[in-house]
Amino acid sequence: MRVTLFDYGAGNLHSLTKALATEEGVDVRVEESPARAVDTDVLVLPGVGAFGSAAARLAPGRDAMRSALEKGLPCLGICLGMQLLFDSSDEGEGAGLGYFAGRVTRLTSRRVPQIGWNQVEGDRTLSGAKLDTAYYAHSFVCRVEDASVVTGWTTHEEDRFPAVVRRGRVVGVQFHPEKSSSSGVAFVRAFLREVAS
Amino acid sequence: MLTRRLIVCLDVKGGRVVKGVRFEGLRDVGDPVELALRYEQEGADEVTFLDISASAEERDTLWDLVRRTAERLFIPLTVGGGVRTVEDVGRALRSGADKVSINSAAVARPEVLTECAERFGAQCVVASIDARKEGSRWRVHTHGGRKPTELEAVAWARECVARGAGEVLLTSIDQDGARSGYDLELTRAVADAVDVPVIASGGAGNAEHVRDGLTRGGADAALVAGILHDGLTTVGAIKSLLRASGLPIRSTT
Repeated sequence: MRVTLFDYGAGNLHSLTKALATEEGVDVRVEESPARAVDTDVLVLPGVGAFGSAAARLAPGRDAMRSALEKGLPCLGICLGMQLLFDSSDEGEGAGLGYFAGRVTRLTSRRVPQIGWNQVEGDRTLSGAKLDTAYYAHSFVCRVEDASVVTGWTTHEEDRFPAVVRRGRVVGVQFHPEKSSSSGVAFVRAFLREVAS
Repeated sequence: MLTRRLIVCLDVKGGRVVKGVRFEGLRDVGDPVELALRYEQEGADEVTFLDISASAEERDTLWDLVRRTAERLFIPLTVGGGVRTVEDVGRALRSGADKVSINSAAVARPEVLTECAERFGAQCVVASIDARKEGSRWRVHTHGGRKPTELEAVAWARECVARGAGEVLLTSIDQDGARSGYDLELTRAVADAVDVPVIASGGAGNAEHVRDGLTRGGADAALVAGILHDGLTTVGAIKSLLRASGLPIRSTT
């Protein structure tokens, strides 16, 4: 199974690459071109950077990627990668993929960024791995137009927002599964087994 | 609810873990990769590598060490020490760090915090502040605590956050390695002054000290080093006490 990480800038891709590669038969590659990134069995949008610069890197291949997702290309978007699956963001200019309807806005909590381990409430994303606590590091969150895509919620102070969204074979997580220890790695592997294969 | 974090700090020098008292008298305590993995297994919420290499030759081993660690460690890894420019931060993140702490370089040129936050996001920019008590205030020091500055710690923490830092790592030079507890007054003053998470550092001698740092000090996270490396207590024992005190703590069982 070919798994491609779309690399749209800075960030630690090592842990994510290794987490994906723990699943047998997975061949992970990193691709900087959005158009070429969709030539794969599974697309992963990793999680570090700012929305504006990531959207700019995405722009030339945005339509191709959006269309590939609609046609059933399995995709896991992590943190900023999840936010790129939505329409737009208050963090920066440019268009996201618009696969999920909604806008990305700043957390309304006092302590921002949220950095640390928080809950995933009632996670029903995958049957093979349920996450109850995961590592988050973010200032912005996705506000969904249709709550039925939310497969797990979380709360930081008074602000409640989606921890996980799923529609078809596309999953977006606000937390970092690759930084959520063994249960996070189990979530990544279960995604590859259940959604991608 | 966001849980309070226990962060294990490994001081690294020339690719090995060392530990000193009040920034001096270094002893070799082990291999960074193996220690980081052991602490993840024991339930540490994060690992921090603080590079205290004195020479460029020693420092060259850091990026390779970070890469080897990131490939096996599945909890957040922060790297600090010797990070001066946006390019250094980019290199640290590329090597496998999730966050980078900036200390002397931010004092010398505070704009570096903004540049890093704009390019990589505030969540990976940690302002590291070393402070020494003088009367009723705390003076910021740089260069591993050796060089006094004109900055007052609470005001400097505020400025770091205004300039883009997403987290403050606050070390009391007076308490560091002394094992008599964090400087709670300093921790509380900074935690009340900024809206980003504050990590208490310097002085933990037992689990009660860690609890006090989080409760009376108001810190979001506590950094510990020597007491774990020396086997005086364990991550599990500290977290049990924190949980029993009513703090939200991540369970790993």
